[in-house]
Amino acid sequence: MRKITQKPEVLAPAGTLEKLKTAIIYGADAVFIGGNQYGLRSRAGNFTYDEMREGVEFAKKYNAKVYVAANMVTHEGDTEGAGEFFQTLRDIGISAVIVSDPALIEICATEAPGLPIHLSTQASATNYETLNFWHTEGLERVVLAREVSMEEIKEIRQKTDVEIEAFIHGAMCISYSGRCTLSNHMADRDANRGGCSQSCRWKYGLFEMPFPDERNSVLGGDPEEDFSMSAVDMSMIRHIPDLVENGIDSLKIEGRMKSIHYVSTVSNVYRQAIDAYCNDPDNYEFKQEWEDELWKVAQRELSVGFYYGTPTEDEQLFGKRRKIPAYAFIGQVLAYDEETGIATIQQRNLFSIGDEIEFYGPGFTHLHQTVEALWDEDGNPIDRAPNAMMTVKMKVDAPVKPFDMMRKRK
Amino acid sequence: MIELITTAESVDQAKLLVSAGVDTLYIGEEQFGLRLPIAFSQDELQEITAFAHAHQKRVCVAVNALMHNDMIEKVVPYLAFLQTVGVDSITVGDPGVIHLMKKHDITIPYVYDAQTLVTSARQVNFWAKRGAVGAVLAREIPFEELKAIGSQVTVPVEVLVYGATCIHHSKRPLLENYFNFTKETVPSEDLYISEPKKPDTHYSIFEDSHGTHVFATNDLNLLPHLASLVEAGITQWKLDGIFTRGNNFVEIVRLFIEAKRALAGDGWTTALQESLNERVIALHPKERTLDTGFFLKDPNNVK
Ligand code: SF4
Repeated sequence: MRKITQKPEVLAPAGTLEKLKTAIIYGADAVFIGGNQYGLRSRAGNFTYDEMREGVEFAKKYNAKVYVAANMVTHEGDTEGAGEFFQTLRDIGISAVIVSDPALIEICATEAPGLPIHLSTQASATNYETLNFWHTEGLERVVLAREVSMEEIKEIRQKTDVEIEAFIHGAMCISYSGRCTLSNHMADRDANRGGCSQSCRWKYGLFEMPFPDERNSVLGGDPEEDFSMSAVDMSMIRHIPDLVENGIDSLKIEGRMKSIHYVSTVSNVYRQAIDAYCNDPDNYEFKQEWEDELWKVAQRELSVGFYYGTPTEDEQLFGKRRKIPAYAFIGQVLAYDEETGIATIQQRNLFSIGDEIEFYGPGFTHLHQTVEALWDEDGNPIDRAPNAMMTVKMKVDAPVKPFDMMRKRK
Repeated sequence: MIELITTAESVDQAKLLVSAGVDTLYIGEEQFGLRLPIAFSQDELQEITAFAHAHQKRVCVAVNALMHNDMIEKVVPYLAFLQTVGVDSITVGDPGVIHLMKKHDITIPYVYDAQTLVTSARQVNFWAKRGAVGAVLAREIPFEELKAIGSQVTVPVEVLVYGATCIHHSKRPLLENYFNFTKETVPSEDLYISEPKKPDTHYSIFEDSHGTHVFATNDLNLLPHLASLVEAGITQWKLDGIFTRGNNFVEIVRLFIEAKRALAGDGWTTALQESLNERVIALHPKERTLDTGFFLKDPNNVK
């Protein structure tokens, strides 16, 4: 039986230490995080050095890697302290930094030798010679532009030795990354320094003349449908064989700002699918339940970006949307007592007796059940768990384990 | 030492511009150059280059597209052609091209032009160490930063002093997708988008084989600030005529040539600057508006 031993890495986003741990427990081989500086998510989810240390230590136990995104496009003055920053990351044991700015690349390479550099998608690498250029510069890996097709990846793989990383899941920036300053011009926020205001998702008027008093709208027949550049999200779950067979080294999930519910669910699904394929590629079958699971944390419809052709109107967010089943993340299992069948749960959202809930855990385990009995921390019976982060006990029908999550349909 | 670099929309206009005193023509063809007023054929490129050289002027050819595999193959013969024609420089925005030039021993001097991604002196110097003879700066750099860049770069840097600013490049056919959704054909007129709740804004938008391009609501005019640029040591000035057609563009270029001459001597006065500026404004297309872009912005207010 054929077996694939060189599995691609599942690379998950981790906006916080908790998400880092969750992603790894749910099967991610590596996570990417942000430092307090030089990243593109200036407004949320960045790690202090101490948190990085703890994250790296945790990851080591699972043989997982931690990358730090430092993918800002710097202006004068922004690189101050960058050398020290990279040295500290290297000494903490960060496995690589994700960079696009050549100034930062140079600083990292000269001042923190030994810290591998990955070229960020912000640099829009779209052909094999570009990858060869960066390989010659000493970079370990290149994250491909989202505009590269599967056919092109196949050829790139044949014509370069540098590691390849590609986005497989999540929300998409619709510009050639880095080549959009809508946000700078419309909101005085620098998209390439973490300030993107998502202007591409706004609703625009569309006209054949520039000034209000003389122009006619050329918006299409439906006045309800404004012009927008907003795209649906990506999911490559149906194309795992292509991703593996074309030799992509790392499969990236977008979403450092996303919830623990998202990170655990998406990591879990891709871990399953990739293991299933690699263990027995010739008898592999796509499982609908994987996609159904991804839908539970989806924010928009899902598509395959540029992998199999240029995105059409179906991959833009126009018109009536498919109804996405909305699930709420309601809790996380802290402990389980086998003798009593009682789980200790940390509440994350309101739930009550009578609710139909679903447990899911690493290894794609699932348990559906109705909440029948609940107690507070002191053992007093309660009929609902209203307080954020409160600890409750609950009777469950089958064993659960720490780090299992609970969700319910909204 | 001020160098005026301009686009051209026809062979005739290119010749007019050279005769008027432009230092460098910035031209190219469709496949490898981005957002040019017109795509020239190889014969035309040859003709323009010969004419410019006969007048001791230079030609820079746009090879600044983001290339996919198919294009990166085709760019080599194109570069070889440009080398034979003897163009003076090219712009390059894809490091793959730099890699290939080295591999194939193509020695045309190149100016690094990755649009929005060139924002600091250290980046420019990075490319200079890899052979770039210059770089085109992003449009989103306030004067305070331009000064800092000008004092640290090891090769000259170019800024836009007149014309439209591209602020978004998507590979998606965003207009076609929209009109496919509404089941209509893409109108043939020039199109503009306006921001939600800001009806006065008018961002130009169009599609070509490279995808969709969106431009700033105002075109740039730095005529009143040319002396500051000289002071900052930034003296490669581009005028882009993609939306300023015909004779008006040539006339505007002439005004900048006059400014250049005055700045090079000691004829630059407030009165001259004001009069030239008024004439630029008068010649600028009525359907477009002008401002100074990021030039006067406080760097601390754009983060
Ligand atoms: S506005 Fe949209 S296209 Fe532009 S950088 Fe932000 S996400 Fe990307």
